[in-house]
Amino acid sequence: MTQNKTLIEAIRIVVVVLIALAIGFVITALVSKEPVAAYTALLTGPLPKISFENGFAITNINRFGNWMEESTTLILLGLAVAIVFKARQFSLGAEGQMLLGALATAVIALKLALPFPWHMILALAAAMAIGFLWGLLPGLLKAYLAVDEIVSTLMFNVIALQLFDLLLFNWLRDPTAGFVGTVPFPDSAVLPLAISGTRVSWMIFIMLAAVVIVWFLMERTPFGFELKMLGANRKFAEYGGINTKRVIALSMAVSGILAGLAGAHLSMGLLKRLTINLSPGLGFEGIVVALLARNDPRWVLVAGLFYGYLRTGAQIMERSSDVTREVVLIIQAIIILLITAEQLFPRFQQWWGARRNNEAAMERG
Amino acid sequence: MSAFVEMKQISKVYPNGVVANKHVDFAVEKGEIHALVGENGAGKSTLMKILYGLEQPTHGEIWLRGQRVEIANPHRAIDLGIGMVHQNFMLVPSFTIAENIVLGSEPRKGRFLDRAQAIAITETLSKSYGLQVDPAARIESTPVGMRQRVEILKTLYRGADLLILDEPTAVLTPQETDELFLAVRKLVDQGKTVIFITHKLVEVKEISDRVTVMRHGEVTGRVATADVSEADIARMMVGRAVFLQIDKPPVRRGRVVAEVRNLGYVAETGRPMVRNVSFDVYAGEILGVAGVEGNGQTELVEVMTGLRPATTGEIRIDGKPVQGQSARRIRLSGVAHIPEDRLTNGVALDASIAENLAVDRYNRPPFTRQGILSPRAIQTQAVALMQQFDIRAAGSAAPMRSLSGGNMQKVIVAREFSAEPALLIAAQPTRGVDIGATEFVHTQLVAKRNEGKAVLLVSADLAEVMSLADRIAVMYKGEIVGILENGPHLTEEEIGLYMLGLKRDEGARGEGRGARGEGRRELSRPSRKFQPSRKIMQRRSQHR
Repeated sequence: MTQNKTLIEAIRIVVVVLIALAIGFVITALVSKEPVAAYTALLTGPLPKISFENGFAITNINRFGNWMEESTTLILLGLAVAIVFKARQFSLGAEGQMLLGALATAVIALKLALPFPWHMILALAAAMAIGFLWGLLPGLLKAYLAVDEIVSTLMFNVIALQLFDLLLFNWLRDPTAGFVGTVPFPDSAVLPLAISGTRVSWMIFIMLAAVVIVWFLMERTPFGFELKMLGANRKFAEYGGINTKRVIALSMAVSGILAGLAGAHLSMGLLKRLTINLSPGLGFEGIVVALLARNDPRWVLVAGLFYGYLRTGAQIMERSSDVTREVVLIIQAIIILLITAEQLFPRFQQWWGARRNNEAAMERG
Repeated sequence: MSAFVEMKQISKVYPNGVVANKHVDFAVEKGEIHALVGENGAGKSTLMKILYGLEQPTHGEIWLRGQRVEIANPHRAIDLGIGMVHQNFMLVPSFTIAENIVLGSEPRKGRFLDRAQAIAITETLSKSYGLQVDPAARIESTPVGMRQRVEILKTLYRGADLLILDEPTAVLTPQETDELFLAVRKLVDQGKTVIFITHKLVEVKEISDRVTVMRHGEVTGRVATADVSEADIARMMVGRAVFLQIDKPPVRRGRVVAEVRNLGYVAETGRPMVRNVSFDVYAGEILGVAGVEGNGQTELVEVMTGLRPATTGEIRIDGKPVQGQSARRIRLSGVAHIPEDRLTNGVALDASIAENLAVDRYNRPPFTRQGILSPRAIQTQAVALMQQFDIRAAGSAAPMRSLSGGNMQKVIVAREFSAEPALLIAAQPTRGVDIGATEFVHTQLVAKRNEGKAVLLVSADLAEVMSLADRIAVMYKGEIVGILENGPHLTEEEIGLYMLGLKRDEGARGEGRGARGEGRRELSRPSRKFQPSRKIMQRRSQHR
């Protein structure tokens, strides 16, 4: 029965993706002189090219790297959002937690001198700690003072952004640089590379571990059970004896750990420094990933890879064709829109089922 | 003689594939009171919705006064003289009774409502059908019984010859039920025809001339009421013999399990909801709590189970004070709770049956060992409990949402009973569940009592309290106004007097120590006249 369901779900996703891609192609065809080439860039851009012309060679490994880097951040953010959404807490604080996570790594990296790997580990720990704190505060406000978490986390994002700018401008900034940013982090505080020729770092392993840990947390611990019951029906959870205030605060705090790690990935893995406008809006992309994955950590991995692929492909399409960035974003949004349209497929099934049943009833009658 | 209403070969298939009615033939004679009974989901509501134009049949014909009719919507039904009083009243709370009655076809003076005329219309209607209402009172300040009379008058004002009453007694006190029955008889005397939907068999016997029984969307019986017994009707409803009376061995009181002393609860609005309540619950007894709903029973239960904080007073379970403790601590002290609002508190609809069965115990062995949760242990328990409590579902992983009301209640009962509590608090445990499940819950409650557990049964269904409880505490305006020994000498009227606040025992509030020394309080007399009737007495003696 559940297997059957999984199969239907898989078919649903494939069908919807195909429909979405077809619509995307129609739009591309409307705006591009060479729609096939442009669309090919979107669809195959992130893949490395394997050629046998001059012996075996892999080219474009950097594009594959881009895909993995993008996906690593997205998956961490997707996990962060999945945790709070599972508990039905609509925390939108990942953006601020990510920024502060990156900021914390910069403080540790630039203001402390420690040997590798302790320097790196401490920086990561600082990012996770600040993320935890930045989730815990709105969590406590929600749990004990009934402050709406949507409002509070958005406000915390504003505070985080201003703190980030303030410290960067006044304390961490490299005054000799031609842009607003720090000096490069020392090697002791940079994540080692995992794939040469790319910026794919050890964070990819940390991310994979995080997927497993979050899955374990949700499915194999009492806390995960509490999270699920809180999300299913808060009053029921309270009736059963669950301390829902604690669970609300903790769910938002634990979510912050992962968003903090995503911030550390940006600073310690990709940029190896801190810059202004680190990555505006990225924190919200985690919502898309979590929604696609229906808050299941295993599917967050898949959805993060898919969404990362789409985003990387879109960037490549933008660079290598006459399709503008805006159109690329429109196509991307339509694809996401269709996939999250949960009722699209059930409606069809319902209509189909009703027709069959009616016929059956007629035959009997 | 042809029937007043005849529904022929009605079938209804919903778009989701549910077959609610299968070739139903249903006929009502002019001037009769026709009971339509069946368990939840038997298809009686669907059938009546079709008759009232709220649903369209997939198949079948409706004949009214010997002519075939199409009832496309309720407007058409009203034009044809069909009126329906829904279970949930559809009145405007801030309007007066007269305004509600004429709403939709108001008498006008120029462009405005003619209030004097509206009141006159209401008074005339009220008088001619013997349905007492106060035309100038606002709906929000009137009791439930009166609201129901307003609903009936509303349909009469619109010219209904046929009234469909959907479970009209569910919300009424015995006295109000009695008044309703008198009014229904008067309606019939004046040539109206009444279809009475219910699942209370006592009422079927008392009020109806004929009865149609439905089960699984089909008609399983169509008989003259006088020819059958309650047990016969129950058998037609359930498809097997049902035990309506519960055999209870005499009470063997054990130790005091729960002591409640001077308990008070003031709501966040500042309104005192529970006032100076004191009572004991003993091992081996069922203490019933009767009362019209909204007199503090809900709050009392929620305070006792740790879902709301007590404002004053003490609660001890097995001698240990528990007031102010968390719901979990109170559960661990040996209190289990079947909540009144099943869908809000008792279950998580989107979680699985197995998870629902583990919500109070997931964090201890065998479900959690060394901090690791075992879904397998949760599932194993679910399979065992589903078998033991006869829960019918697609499997333990099926979502709670897929269960019927009766099976949901069985899940709750299974969880709370398997917690092995010292005190079981059951609030409205059979509300909205079918006869089969009601029988099951009643049997289980008595079994717990016989095992020597203490049971606190809170119910708005007086018949339920009277058939199960050993002692009955009556709540009125947040106070316990009497604790009565149950027995053959105790009548529904007697309890009704306490429920309406017309009678109180000062001693009742001070069980054991505590509240005795307080000054007498003035009795608040409701303005409504109350006449005890012989009818309920008869009903009661038949029932015993």
